[in-house]
Amino acid sequence: MANLRKLIIDGIEVEVDPALTLIQAAEVAGIEVPRFCYHERLSVAGNCRMCLVEVVGGPPKPAASCAMQVKDLRPGPNGEPAVVKTNTPMVKRAREGVMEFLLLNHPLDCPICDQGGECDLQDQAMAYGVDFSRSREAKRASTDLNLGPLVATAMTRCISCTRCVRFTSEVAGITQMGQTGRGEDAEVTSYLGLTLDSNLQGNIIDLCPVGALTSKPYAFTARPWELTKVESIDVMDGLGANIRVDVKGREVMRIVPRNHDGVNEEWISDKSRFIWDGLRRQRLDTPYVREAGKLRKASWAEALAAAAKAMKGKKVLGLVGDLVQTEAAFALKALVEGLGGAVECRVDGARLPAGNRSAYVGTAKIEDIDSAKGILLIGTDPRNESPVLNARIRKAWVAGAEVGLIGKAVDLTYAYHHFGTDRAALLAHAKLAEEAAPDTGPGIVIVGQGAINEADGEAVLAQAMRIAAARKAKLLVLHTAAGRVGAMDVGATAEGGLIEATKGVEVIYNLGADEVEIARGPLVIYQGSHGDRGAMRADIILPAAAYTEEDGLFVNTEGRPQLAYRAGFAPGAAKENWAILRALSAELGAKQPWDSLTGLRRALVAAHPHLGEIDAVAENGWQALPLRDLGKADFRLVVKDFYLTNPIARASTVMAECSALAASRGSQPMAAE
Amino acid sequence: MKFLLRLLTWWNGQTLGTQVYTWRKGVRVGEDVEGNIYYRTRDDKRRWVIYNGVCEPSRISADWNGWLHHTYADAPSDVPMPRKGWELPHQANLSGTPGAYAPAGSLRRAAPVERRDYEAWQPE
Repeated sequence: MANLRKLIIDGIEVEVDPALTLIQAAEVAGIEVPRFCYHERLSVAGNCRMCLVEVVGGPPKPAASCAMQVKDLRPGPNGEPAVVKTNTPMVKRAREGVMEFLLLNHPLDCPICDQGGECDLQDQAMAYGVDFSRSREAKRASTDLNLGPLVATAMTRCISCTRCVRFTSEVAGITQMGQTGRGEDAEVTSYLGLTLDSNLQGNIIDLCPVGALTSKPYAFTARPWELTKVESIDVMDGLGANIRVDVKGREVMRIVPRNHDGVNEEWISDKSRFIWDGLRRQRLDTPYVREAGKLRKASWAEALAAAAKAMKGKKVLGLVGDLVQTEAAFALKALVEGLGGAVECRVDGARLPAGNRSAYVGTAKIEDIDSAKGILLIGTDPRNESPVLNARIRKAWVAGAEVGLIGKAVDLTYAYHHFGTDRAALLAHAKLAEEAAPDTGPGIVIVGQGAINEADGEAVLAQAMRIAAARKAKLLVLHTAAGRVGAMDVGATAEGGLIEATKGVEVIYNLGADEVEIARGPLVIYQGSHGDRGAMRADIILPAAAYTEEDGLFVNTEGRPQLAYRAGFAPGAAKENWAILRALSAELGAKQPWDSLTGLRRALVAAHPHLGEIDAVAENGWQALPLRDLGKADFRLVVKDFYLTNPIARASTVMAECSALAASRGSQPMAAE
Repeated sequence: MKFLLRLLTWWNGQTLGTQVYTWRKGVRVGEDVEGNIYYRTRDDKRRWVIYNGVCEPSRISADWNGWLHHTYADAPSDVPMPRKGWELPHQANLSGTPGAYAPAGSLRRAAPVERRDYEAWQPE
C-alpha cells in the first residue's frame, strides 16, 4: 500500500488504501455504519441504502458508503483531505427514510420470529425507525420457498438485500437462488423451486440480516439471549473450523461459525452446523460388560476392573478414532505402550509416514490457497471432504488460479483441468513437472486421503511431494479426521500400519474408532460417545464425552493446534476421555502421573512442544519420501456420503434427511419437465 | 347446614329471593343432565336457571346456554339440537380445580413423564 489517501470521517483523520470503500474506511476510524446488504466477504450490491453518508463537497445527496471508494472522493479546493460525515441530520433523515421503506413491507411478527433478539433490522430500527406508520396499504405478500431440510424461509420478511443470492453464487458456487421481478414485485426465489444443492447452505441463515432465512432444525426452540455461548472447534472434518456452541441447560441448541481468517473465514459446513441433534441420540450413558454374548449394564468399578483384567499381560492394540482429542490419544499411547502394546491412529489405512511432519501434514497453510496461482488436487473431492476449504479453493479460482485434478472427476463448483483418474496420470504429471516446470507463481498440491489409504499410499505421497518440489509448490495433506494430525503428532502409530498391528493381537482398546472393521478374535474395549459400529463389536463399553462435552486440543489438517472448550456435560454416567484412561491406568497399577487435564496437557506439551503453540502453524522441514513403484488402479474417494461420516452424524436425524435428499436429487424431475 | 348455606351464600343453588321469585313467576321449562332446572316467565321475557349445586355458568351446555340468551326460541328439552357423532359431552371449565389439565411433563401430575434430554443407546 504505497499511496495511502487521507480523509476525515466525522472529524477523525485516517489514512487508508484508496481502494477501500467508505464503509471500510469508517471501520478503520472506528465508526460503524449501519448496513444490511454489505458484507465483507461478498461482492458489493449497494441495494439496501442503509449505509448512506454525507460527502462534503460532493453531490447534494447522500452517498452509499459501501459502494463508493475512497479514491472516488474529491479533495478540497486546496488539496485538503476529503470530508465524510456519518452522523449529520441529513444522514439521519436519509436513513430514517430508508428504514421506513424497508418496514413498509416487513411484517410485525418479531415475537414469533426466530431472528428476534439477533436481528439487524430490529437493532437498526431502534436507532432509525419511526414509531408510527404512514402506510395505509396492505403489506406485500409472497410465497415461502422450500429450500430443503435445513433452511426455513419466511419470505414476507425478506428485505431483498440479496446476501443469500451472492453467497450461494459466489462462495458456495451453486445457481439455485436468484432475484426476479422489479420494484414491489422483486423477490428472492429459488430457480424452478429447486432445493439448495450445497453443503454450505447453512451459512445463508447467518448472512440473512432479518428472519427471512432461519434454521429449520432449530426453529422455535430457543431465544438467543437464553443461550450460553461457548467458543469451540469443530471436528466434523479435518479443517478444524472455529465454532460457537450455544447451549441451553445441558443441551446443545445450535452451532454457529466464528471468524478465523486462517481457517474457515466465517463459514462452516452444514454437517458442522446441524450435527447437534446427533449429540442427543444414540448416546452411551452407562458402562456395559458383555456376559454370555449379551451386553449388560455395569457400574464404572465393574467395567474398569473387567477392562484391567482383560488387558493385563495381553498383547494390546490401541486404536485412536477420528474425533479423539490429542490429549486422549497421548494418554492412550502412554497407557498401552506401558503394557508393551502399540497404538494406531491411521484406522482408515492411510499410509501416512510416522515422524515426517512435512509428509503427513504438509508445508502449506490454508491461507496459502488464497494467494496460490496453481492448485493441484490428487485423489480428493474437497467439496465433500472439507466444504469450507473447497470454498477457499473456489475463491482462489475466482481470483485467477488454475486448478488441476488427478482422480475421479467430480463437481467441485468450479472449472478445473482434469489430468486423469489413475496412478499413471499422476506419474506422467510428475515427470512433466520435473522436466518442464514453468514458473507459474505460488502453487499448492493437495493430497486427499483417498489417494494414500491404499497399499501404495506412500508411493503416491512421494510422487505428490516430487511434484510439489519440482514446482516449488507447497504440500497440503487434506485429512478427513479431526483427531488424526494430533494423534500423528503424539506418535500414535504402530510399525507397519493397521494391518501389521492387528496381527496376533489379543485385546483391542478402541478409543472412538467406528470406521474400522474389527475381525472376530480379539476382545474389544470400546471407549466412545455414541453407540455405533464400535459399540456393537465391543465386549466392554466405557461411555465417554463427545466433542462438545470436553475440553480438548485438536490439530487441524494444516497442523494448527486449536483448543475446543466444554459446552455441556456428558450424559448419564459418561466421563471425559482422559479421565477414563487415567482411572483405567490406576486400575492397571500403572497410575498416570497427572490428576487433571492441565497436568496431562503439561506432559503433552513437554513431550511435543509445538502443540503448546496454540493457533500457530509450525514450519515443517521438507523431508522427501523415497520414490517407489505405484500401483495401477484409479484413485478412489474416501467420503462416500458427506452427511454420514462419523458416529455423531449417523445418529443425527437431520443428517439422515439430508443424505436421503442428496441421494434422490439426481432422480427428481425438474419443475419444468 | 344446607339451610344455612342457602341462607348465607349465593353460590349454592338458589337464594331465598330467587326461590320466592321463581315460585311467584317461574314456569318450569326443563332440566339438563346435570340436574340444573330452567325457568321462564309466563310472557317469556326472562329466562333463568337454578343450579343443582355450585353456581358455575360453564356447567351449562351450549344448547341451554343458547336458549337462556334468547338465541333459540325453543328449549332444548322440546326441540333437541342436532348432535354429530364426534361431539363430546359437555364439560365444565376445570381451571383452578384439581381436575385441571396439566401437560404430560407437568409437576402437577401425580407421575410426570420423565424428561430426557438425550436418547440412550440400547444394545441389541
